[in-house]
This record gives sequence, C-alpha cells and structure tokens, in this order.
Amino acid sequence: MNRTTRTIAAAALTAALTATALASCAPSSGSDSGEKTLNVVFWDYGPAAQTGNQATADAFMAANPDVEVSLTPVAGENWGTYYANVATLIASGEKPDLMLISGEGAEFIHANNLALPINDYLESDPDAAALVDDIAPGLIDGFTVDGDIVTLTNAWNNMVVYYNTDVFAAAGLEAPSADWTWDDFKATAAALSKDTNGDGTTDQYGFTWASNEIFPGIMPWVANAGGNLTSDDRCEATVDTPEVTKALEFLKGLIDEGIAPAPMPMSDVFTRFQNGSIAMFGAGRWPIGTFVPAGFTSFDIQLYPSDETYKTVFGGSGYPILQSSPNPDLAWEYQKFTVSPEIQEQYVGTPEAPGDSIPSLRSVASTISEVGVPPVSSDLFYSSIDDHDTLVPYPAPAKYSEFESTVLRNLQLIFAGETTIADGLTTLQGELDPIVACS
Amino acid sequence: MLAPAAGVILLSFFNWNLLSDGRFIGLANFARLFTDGRLLAVYGSTAYMAFAILAVNVTIGLLLAVLLETRMPRWLRGFFRLSFLFPFVVSSSAVALIWRFLLNKDLGLVNFWLGEWFDVGRIDWLGSSFWAPISVIIVSSWKTLGFSILVYIAGLQSIPNEIREAAIVDGTNAWQRFWRITLPLLSPTVFFLIVINTINAFQLFAEPRVLTTGGPGDASRTIVQYIYDTAFGSFDLGYASTIGITLLLVLIVLTAIQFRVSRRWTFYE
Repeated sequence: MNRTTRTIAAAALTAALTATALASCAPSSGSDSGEKTLNVVFWDYGPAAQTGNQATADAFMAANPDVEVSLTPVAGENWGTYYANVATLIASGEKPDLMLISGEGAEFIHANNLALPINDYLESDPDAAALVDDIAPGLIDGFTVDGDIVTLTNAWNNMVVYYNTDVFAAAGLEAPSADWTWDDFKATAAALSKDTNGDGTTDQYGFTWASNEIFPGIMPWVANAGGNLTSDDRCEATVDTPEVTKALEFLKGLIDEGIAPAPMPMSDVFTRFQNGSIAMFGAGRWPIGTFVPAGFTSFDIQLYPSDETYKTVFGGSGYPILQSSPNPDLAWEYQKFTVSPEIQEQYVGTPEAPGDSIPSLRSVASTISEVGVPPVSSDLFYSSIDDHDTLVPYPAPAKYSEFESTVLRNLQLIFAGETTIADGLTTLQGELDPIVACS
Repeated sequence: MLAPAAGVILLSFFNWNLLSDGRFIGLANFARLFTDGRLLAVYGSTAYMAFAILAVNVTIGLLLAVLLETRMPRWLRGFFRLSFLFPFVVSSSAVALIWRFLLNKDLGLVNFWLGEWFDVGRIDWLGSSFWAPISVIIVSSWKTLGFSILVYIAGLQSIPNEIREAAIVDGTNAWQRFWRITLPLLSPTVFFLIVINTINAFQLFAEPRVLTTGGPGDASRTIVQYIYDTAFGSFDLGYASTIGITLLLVLIVLTAIQFRVSRRWTFYE
C-alpha cells in the first residue's frame, strides 16, 4: 500500500468512525421536540412477536397518553444473531431505550456496558416490592450479574418433558410421576420405542432432544447429573467433568440402544412428536403455541427425571433499560409495565390460543390451569421454579453465541459416534477455555 | 459498490466487536490466519463441496440439456425445462428445510424408501462426516442444475443448424457431431458456467447452514458460514473481514487460472 492509498484509507476510516461517533452522540428526535418517547427494540421472530409487542406498546400508550412508544423490530434467526443485529443498530447511531433480551444475553449486555442496572429503581420505587414478591427468586437471580440486576423478567420458560398421551396409552403406560429417575425414564422410553410396521427397524422412538439448542438439549441432563458447563462465575468452562460425561453417556446410550433417533433441530422434533413417531422430548412452554392452534392437544408435561439431584433449568426474557436511553425513568415505567398483571395475562392465553411462555407473576401464572389452557399439568410450570432448586447461574457467558455454537459443533461429533465422549469433551474444553475466560 | 469492499479491507486491520470502539491492530488478523486450526479444514470442506457441485452442474447439466433439446418430444420440453428450473427460483432455506426433513437418518423418507426398494441400511445423511457434505452437494446441485441447463439450452440453440446439417450430409453420426461440432461450439458456454458455478459454489451458505449447520464438526462448513459465524457469532468483525479477503483472493486466483487455461479449449466462432 503506497502513501497515497494509506492516506485515503485512513481518511475513510476516520470519517466512518467519526460519523458513527457523531451519530451516537446526537440526541433523538423525541428529546429535541420535548415529547416523551420510548424506542423499544424487540426480536422479530414472527407474527407472535409483533402482535405481543404491539399490544404491550398500545396498552402502555393508553395508560400514558402523553407517551409515544415506537417499536423497532430486529430480525435474527436466533438470540445470538438478534444481538448482533441490535449491536449493528446501536453502532449505526440508534439510541433505543429498551431492548428485549433473553437470560443468555444478560452477561453479554452487562459485559458490554449496555444496560442500566435497576437496583436503584427497585429500592426507591414503592411499587417494586409487591412486584418482586410475586416473582420467583430464581427469575431475579437469573438476570443478576455481579450483583447488578439487569432487568425484571417479563416471561420465562423452564425445561420439562413433553409426552404424547396417545402414544403412552397405546403402549399401556401410566403417565410418568414427578419423582422418576433416569432409570425409570430409560425404561419408559425403551417401552415406547417400536418397529410399528414390522420392517425390522425402529420407527417410533421413546425420546429425543433438540440438536440446535443447549437449554432444551443437554442442559437438564447435565444439571441433574450435578454438573454445569461453566463455573458459577461464568469465567471457566467445566465440560470435561464426570458429571457432564455421565449426562452425555446417558444420552449417547439412548441413541446406541435405538431408544432415541439421531438428534434433530427443534422444529423437526415438533412435527415428529405430533405424528407420534417421537413419544417424548424436552422443551419449555413454547411448543404449546404451535401444538394447540394446530389442533394437537394429546400431550402433557412432567419434570425431567432426577439423577444425583434435580434442578429446574430455565431461561427468561426481559426489557433492560439501555445506557443509551435518554429517558431511563420512563423506560423503567415501561419495564415495570411489562410485568404488570394486565400484560402478564397475555402470556396465559386462552384454551384455543395459548401463550408461548410462562408469566413471571406467580399470581397470574396460577390462572393458566383455571382458564383451561392445555396441558392438564400446566401448574407444573411455575411450581418447578418455586418448589425446586434451579440451575443458577446458568451457563451463559458474555460470548454466549460463540459458546453455544462451539458446544453444539462438538456435540454433533460425539452423538454421531465420530469421537469418544472423553476425547470430544477434552477437545471441547480446550476450545471453550478462551471463549469463557473473563478478562 | 467499492465502499463495502473498502470497508472490509479497513476492518481487517482492526479488532472490533460492533459495540466497542475499534482498535487498530495492524497485521495481527492476517497473522492469525496461519494459526487458525479450523480455517484450513473449512477451506478443505468448501473446496470439496464446491468442485463437486461445479462438476455436477457442468457435466450432468450438459447431459440433461442435450437430452432435452435432442431427444425430448417438443410438447414435453417446456414442462421439463420448467421442472428443472423450479428449484432454482425457490428460496434456498425453504428447500433445505424440506430436504432436512427428508434426509433425517431415522425418520426421513429417503432412508425409508432406500430401505424398502433396495434394502439399504439407514444412512446418516446429515450426521456423519462422510455423508453430510455429500448431502449438501446433492441438495445444492439439485437447486442450481436448472440454471446450468437453461444456459446450456441457450448455447445449444445458438449453434447454427447449417453446420449440423452439413455434418449429417458428410455422413457423421450423432456421437461424432456432439464431440466435433456441438461441444467445441458450446465451449464458451461451458467456460461461462465453470466461472459462474465456481464463484457461486464457493459462496455456498444457506443449504449447509440449514441442513447440517456445517457439521458434524466442520465437515460440511463452508468458508462463508465461517465468516458469518466469526462476525456475528464471535462478534469478531476484524478477523471475519480478514477471512473474507482470503476468499476474495482465492476466487480471483481461481478465475484467473480458469481464464488462462480456457484459451486452450475454448473456441469462438
């Protein structure tokens, strides 16, 4: 590169960075005009996200006529790419007041100094105590990083086992009980695995798990074996441990013994579960939003089986106030509004159109079964976090997206039998060490 | 058009995660290319799949185009042309989603019918390091073949009938006419398809991402996927840009070689 080219390149870069910096310093139009405005960024994963966020914004504006809420839908094939796209949005000079995040993103936005912790609001706001009392402590802990509470949880999901009641009935099996063990689970899954057309190969499987996500995939098994994928401070990977090894040996054994098919992405699991070719799988409450509108209600839920321990594995979402917000006090009111009974009732839904996550308020969640929203054991959703230990902190380091893709990439090799569990976990540990490390 | 490319080159000298201020790090990202253990493996799988897709497009595309033009009844040609072109115009992600369902090892229709008809055991199309790239090759070729056929048909139709008729008068058979007249006159079309399909195949993204997510391990990962994961999974825009520059260089070198070699076998009227 000659001197002239270098000069042009430096000038172009300087101009680009300066433009970004200037844009990020510029006040929003709302502040200029003196209007009360809020810009809320949300993950636009589909029509349900648009409808739900619009309903919340409309209700907030109805309750606060002097406030204008603008919604910014941001695309993304998963939470990780959504965060990347929001980061791009902020880098381009946008100044959102709030953004929707999942629990996996709490460490990420805290590490990047994006969120304004709400500890002070919780102490000073007279409404806060009543709200927090009605929210399971685990949901607060799940969004706490180094003592900073990043956001109130507006909705959440725990990992439970879904089972197809028709397949159970056809096999003459009783519904599983909450105190079942891994051995009980394996015996049940084996009894449900069959060659239904007599061609000598299994075509109905007892269980499967999602290959494209770790929370509804391996985490409940790792947690109940007494392990985790990271240390409590999320600064060290802990995958080459006896507990993780035990969990993977159990799952690999299910594949090897013809009780589970080769793992597949969650959306494929939904279809197989509805047509009965898979009798059980693990997920949060979100499948109900697909199953029930499609007319499929022959299912119920149960806790994951216990092994060394039982821990509820869960994940939540919330609307943290961003450091870039020109109106943090108003943003706090919006965040509080997302956990008000009025909004929380959206997550309950109706028997025909159920919500796809669990309300954070215990008092609202308890109405799910009263309203008659499937499945029959819906009370289990909230009781699983009130009555049992939880996996907190969950393995969501600041570089969560890279962390999860690294875990899943290595799990593919283990479950395909292309590496041993011991070798696979040793390799995985080596790859995760620099990703999980705290600076 | 040049601004994004210039931006990529500039970014390659920076450490930038989208959220913090970029930090100039000189040639560190380029030095990292030589210590990145996955990069070579990903380039290997990319090249394997890209050249296989190229080979399928150039050879089977030609075969099907010739059959369509010479052996197919005229009233059926339109139907088959449309059938071959249809996969090309539908969304890659949608196509890959359906194929993923069909190719599932234990519950997919492909293995079911292979077992029923040929008594073949279940193939782990998407989960094994051997079969996963082959699945990507099959699905990607199935999707792009229609375009190659269309271009070949245009090339075949541009060959003057008088030349063929003269050869028939001279007593040549169909095989001789194909090798001595059709193929040489079609060589510019073949060359065009080689260049276009090479570039497209090296930029493969949606099919492996949806079908196999690049796995198992990196067995079916493409370089564009790796760039995407580095940029928007690891939030390492600088290094992702550096890998992007290597892809640009690889494509420039490949295209230059193709142009150079093509002088020996491409004939223009």
